[in-house]
Amino acid sequence: MTDAANTDRWIRWLNLVQLVLAGVIIMAPTVWMVLSSFKPSFEVTAYPPTLIFTPTLDNYVELTKTTPFMSYAVNSLIVTVGSTALGLLFGIPAAFAVSWTRISWPAILTLAARMAPGTLFLLPWYVMFRQVGMIGSYTALILSHAVITLPIVIWVLLPSFDGIPRSVFEAAQVDGCGVTRILWRIALPLVASGVAVSAILAFVFSWNYFLFALVLSNGDTKTLIAAAFNFIGEGSTQWGALMAAATLIALPPLVLAALVQRWLVSGLTLGAVKG
Amino acid sequence: MSDAAATLTQDRQKLEMSALSAPAVIFTVAMIAFPVVYTIWLGFQTFSSTGKQSFAGLANYSKLISDYEFWHGLWVTVALFVLSLVLQLVFGVWLALVLFHAKRLPGIVRSLFISPFMMPPVVAGMMWLVILDPSLGAANYILQSFGLPPSDWLASPTWVIPTVALIDSWQWTPYVALIVLGGLQSLPPSVYEAAQIDGASPFKTFQRITLPLLLPTIVTAAILRSVDLLRFFDIIYITTQGGPGNASNTLNIYGFRVGFEFFNIGYASALMLTLTAIVFGAVLAFNRLRGAVAWS
Repeated sequence: MTDAANTDRWIRWLNLVQLVLAGVIIMAPTVWMVLSSFKPSFEVTAYPPTLIFTPTLDNYVELTKTTPFMSYAVNSLIVTVGSTALGLLFGIPAAFAVSWTRISWPAILTLAARMAPGTLFLLPWYVMFRQVGMIGSYTALILSHAVITLPIVIWVLLPSFDGIPRSVFEAAQVDGCGVTRILWRIALPLVASGVAVSAILAFVFSWNYFLFALVLSNGDTKTLIAAAFNFIGEGSTQWGALMAAATLIALPPLVLAALVQRWLVSGLTLGAVKG
Repeated sequence: MSDAAATLTQDRQKLEMSALSAPAVIFTVAMIAFPVVYTIWLGFQTFSSTGKQSFAGLANYSKLISDYEFWHGLWVTVALFVLSLVLQLVFGVWLALVLFHAKRLPGIVRSLFISPFMMPPVVAGMMWLVILDPSLGAANYILQSFGLPPSDWLASPTWVIPTVALIDSWQWTPYVALIVLGGLQSLPPSVYEAAQIDGASPFKTFQRITLPLLLPTIVTAAILRSVDLLRFFDIIYITTQGGPGNASNTLNIYGFRVGFEFFNIGYASALMLTLTAIVFGAVLAFNRLRGAVAWS
């Protein structure tokens, strides 16, 4: 019996060691990025690399001084919030209708669209938006990013709507409630947490998306992600500012994801796995 | 309520339902379906240097067959896809098992574990660019302090694909792990208890019971990752832009550059349609595989 207990303890230790090892591998690069962003410029490129240093905000100050970082951030915010709002506006009623009628092709259509490489749409968009002079407009960016947010909203909300007992709707129908009224007055409040999760996931993936803004934005509407390229061009002496930019760009999605981590699994797999 | 009235209400309800999904459907048709049809048409066009457009028949597709860069891009895409997928599935299953046995994981720890794939791939590229710098990066310092030779990482034509696969795997292995963890948690505990009573070793239990039962979940993870891996773009565009030379020029990067750097929209359209066919082909193949390994 003591033998079994010993083996048990040993296995638990082994598992803890593996957990710590995995945690270190996962966290170390991010920690290094954040540390580097607070290093004095001569220490960022020090070799051998240093772990102990006097932290400074110089890199962040330089970043805001030498680049229009704040206006890029505002652009990112406009595009991300706009596309998330559009995704919710179109996605909520669609998810409700799919859940109610069990006619799933509209949901599959939006998902299939997301599986193709973005360049496939970007080529015709570029030709079409150029013809109507919309290259570099917020409208073009928001519309293109809504292609990312819409399937996220629909597929995250589908299981939530499916979870509402039918009798709730039937009772409302007997009371003479129209379908649209049932959605906004009865169903939506019941899936409020699902809406929050879908909105946050849509925000994160729209914020993180690189390709569309690379082509559809111009100097005035460039998003942070599309501008990341400019920060790299500065050369190896600018590592501190580069890491400061990387840290700031990564901050909003990381904070939001931490808020909803409990519900992320089923949302991230678009319903393929129940979390 | 009479039958006629009931039909009337049902018809009205159907109409209202269609109205609810209409905005999403119209948006998708306008932003995706119509542009894709337009891309198919563009694939049959050539654009002269003056921007004049003319019908080219299958010229873009025959060019594709004889284009060395296309075949090279296909090779890079497939190599990166296979390498990354294997790494992410193997380590993802391992990580899932570790997390599964760590009971009561606090929320903050979970947040840390999902942080790599919640950050923009562009940021992952930026941070690894600094870490993997051949002369001043921390990675080579660590290698050398263990007595190992330094590597040129992203600057080496030989190592650039494995390096990019490593960066992507750092970012997405925790994602695979979370999916597999969901599968593990949904397995009935009774199967483990039966195995324990039979005196099976932990390894045997995993090999004979857990793994077969997990296969459908693992294939699901493989599908979700394949879609991203076959159209690999962000990390490469930020770190190497397809280089050094053309060593990491995936099909998606190549198609993008043909379209938006050389402005050969017709040929780029043909390239992208081919890549799309490859992605959908892979998804369908995996979907069949999932059907074959399903147990419920």
